[in-house]
Amino acid sequence: MDLGLSIETRGFYAPRVQEIPPDIDAELARRIAAGDPEAEAPFCRRFAPRIRLFGLKRLRNDAAAADLVQDVLIVALQKLRAGAVREPERIASFMLGMARQMMLDSKRNSGRRERILNEFPIDLIPVEEPAAEEPDEARLQHCLQALPERERSVLVMTFYDDCPADALGTQLGLSTGNVRVIRHRGLQHLRDCLENAEVRDDS
Amino acid sequence: MTPDNHADHSTSDLLAYWLGELDEASADSVEEHLFRCDACGARLRELILLGGAVREGLLKGEFGTVVTPSFTRRLSAAGVRIREYHLEPGGSVNCTVAPEDDLVISHLRAEVGDVRQIDLVVDDGDGGSTHRSRHIAFNAGTGEVTFIPPVALLRTLGKDRQRMRLMAVDKSSERLLGEYTFNHSSYDPRG
Repeated sequence: MDLGLSIETRGFYAPRVQEIPPDIDAELARRIAAGDPEAEAPFCRRFAPRIRLFGLKRLRNDAAAADLVQDVLIVALQKLRAGAVREPERIASFMLGMARQMMLDSKRNSGRRERILNEFPIDLIPVEEPAAEEPDEARLQHCLQALPERERSVLVMTFYDDCPADALGTQLGLSTGNVRVIRHRGLQHLRDCLENAEVRDDS
Repeated sequence: MTPDNHADHSTSDLLAYWLGELDEASADSVEEHLFRCDACGARLRELILLGGAVREGLLKGEFGTVVTPSFTRRLSAAGVRIREYHLEPGGSVNCTVAPEDDLVISHLRAEVGDVRQIDLVVDDGDGGSTHRSRHIAFNAGTGEVTFIPPVALLRTLGKDRQRMRLMAVDKSSERLLGEYTFNHSSYDPRG
């Protein structure tokens, strides 16, 4: 690929230039706006997992997050088809803004989803989540048991009900910073152990 | 596992975002990033899965751990069925685990007010192996160490005796805070 740099600037002191991948999101948005229906499925596949994560974080509920994904994609496709998205190069920000707005709207009006579906029947392709790696049960058990006791305690109490560091610090008589340090170390040790186990399994 | 080498947001940042620890501006920034960066999204998904697996492992009794009294109250409030034993230093108890119990929790009372480090020493069976967990979690204000043994292992035991010792440790010495004896037997529905 021609990065457009002159020969003189390719030496040791040349600025680091990273290959920037083409903005696939913006390209898909432009194609949908231009009336290309083939662009809709890949567009949904790219944004659905992002909206779902956002929904899980804000709503802490699988079903509600899945509903949010459908709602946002339906309205986004409708706006893109209508040419109502002015800056396709900022489509990620547009989608996030819409996810935030629709989450607030859904709290105000729970009937909105049904109304949207009735008004804008769009045949959404079921979206599969990217394959996230679920830790092997036996391996996780081994790695948790291998942790220093205090790190295990902090990780278990953090993960059990998503307990933030300040609340856990109060329970343990530790500072928030101290809990974060123990948690960081524990997570690092746990990930290292799980990764090493993966390497052993692969070899 | 997705590498933790992303230039913008570390795994710790992502966890802090997930746990709601970030201020509004920082949380917004992470959220914006996650709408562009699928690598960070994948790492956050892994964290969420890991959290779920830890939670599931705890409730299946796959591992033991030290917790806090308030954590056990949260478990109880969430509907987890808990069999609890409260022991004073030098105390012993006849204990078991019933089929309907999700977890067993041991409350080991001790004077821990001025202690900086506590080690938990577990002697398995009569003349069996000894395991020492160093620097366990405790809150001096609660006057106890709260321990969840691995219930899956307890269910496999017949008659068994286990001794636990809490040791207060400082730079040059250690002293016994309390010794606790658990006389385990398999569950007998007749009591």
